[in-house]
Amino acid sequence: MIDKLDNLAGLVHTPLFGILLTLASYRFALWVYGRSNSLPLFHPFLVASIPVIIVLPLVGVDYEEYRDQTTLISFLLGPATVALAWPLYRQLHTVRSVLTPILIATVLGAFISAAIAVGLAWWLGAPAEVVGSLAPKSITTPIAVEVVQSTGGYVSLAAGAVAITGIVGALAAGPIFRLLKVTDHRIKGFALGLVAHAIGTARAFEYGEKAGAFAGLALGLCGLVTAMALPWLWPWVAQYL
Amino acid sequence: MIDGLLILLFFQFLGEVLIRLTGIPLPASVVGMVLLLLALLLNAPFSQRVAPAAGALIKHISLLIFPLGVGIVLQWHRYEDYALALGVAVVLGTLLSLVLVTLMLKKLLGGKHGESAGGSHDR
Repeated sequence: MIDKLDNLAGLVHTPLFGILLTLASYRFALWVYGRSNSLPLFHPFLVASIPVIIVLPLVGVDYEEYRDQTTLISFLLGPATVALAWPLYRQLHTVRSVLTPILIATVLGAFISAAIAVGLAWWLGAPAEVVGSLAPKSITTPIAVEVVQSTGGYVSLAAGAVAITGIVGALAAGPIFRLLKVTDHRIKGFALGLVAHAIGTARAFEYGEKAGAFAGLALGLCGLVTAMALPWLWPWVAQYL
Repeated sequence: MIDGLLILLFFQFLGEVLIRLTGIPLPASVVGMVLLLLALLLNAPFSQRVAPAAGALIKHISLLIFPLGVGIVLQWHRYEDYALALGVAVVLGTLLSLVLVTLMLKKLLGGKHGESAGGSHDR
């Protein structure tokens, strides 16, 4: 009998357990998100984390082991990043007339977001790995977790910083646009996508289809520009940290 | 769905090949994304079939990401000393970026309100 129970307890150390827990938590989070009418504060990223954070310590599985169990899921981040080319392609068509200012805005905006995060963290005394984790915080998570490896940051911290950035951006957008008297939906959408990536894009769709398309475009372009520039620029930035 | 997955993995693989050949310091999936974008813009055969798989993966991107994010809490001892720097950089930094980016966009796009006058609906 004891043998059998031990055998059963061993189940928590299998990928099946990790993946089941992950998928169940995500399903629960989708339900909560729907119930909340897609409130940014109840974003699935945050809500899905809660059951996992509670259950893992209870059953004695540490974070490293959980990551090993769920490699099948994180593997899909690669193809998911490649997949971003599809919405980018769709939206490039919709904004041909303002492509040049859009490209300039992307490069400047990507630089502003990264520089502010890096500058603030450095100024407050964070070590190089932490500063490096924040550099890609305004870009979409699948790209951010790849890029963070070139800045010597922590993947977990980068993923979390990206999520919180998206949530803060989506929540603050309304008041900020009112304060700055923004009425142009293209500007609202583009700013949201640029600073607050996918979560901001979801928020932008509430302003309408056009704002959403501009947000989606900004998300794709900003991720692309940052991913292309950061690995080259980072060694130069890092020597001042 | 299978066609789409095949296309995505193929382009990721191409990205990997390119990186190993040239030594450029970019993530393979990002290079794959650029290559796929080029293929789509050049109307490469089959490239449009990527849509179902791409849509599904992007829709559920949170599922792929949050297992990485739980590490913040489960390994909090690594980060607790820098909690203030992190909080300020992420929250205040985001607000500051949003204000600056919005102002910049007003400058860049503000003059051309409504884009080309006769422009039909975009979608």
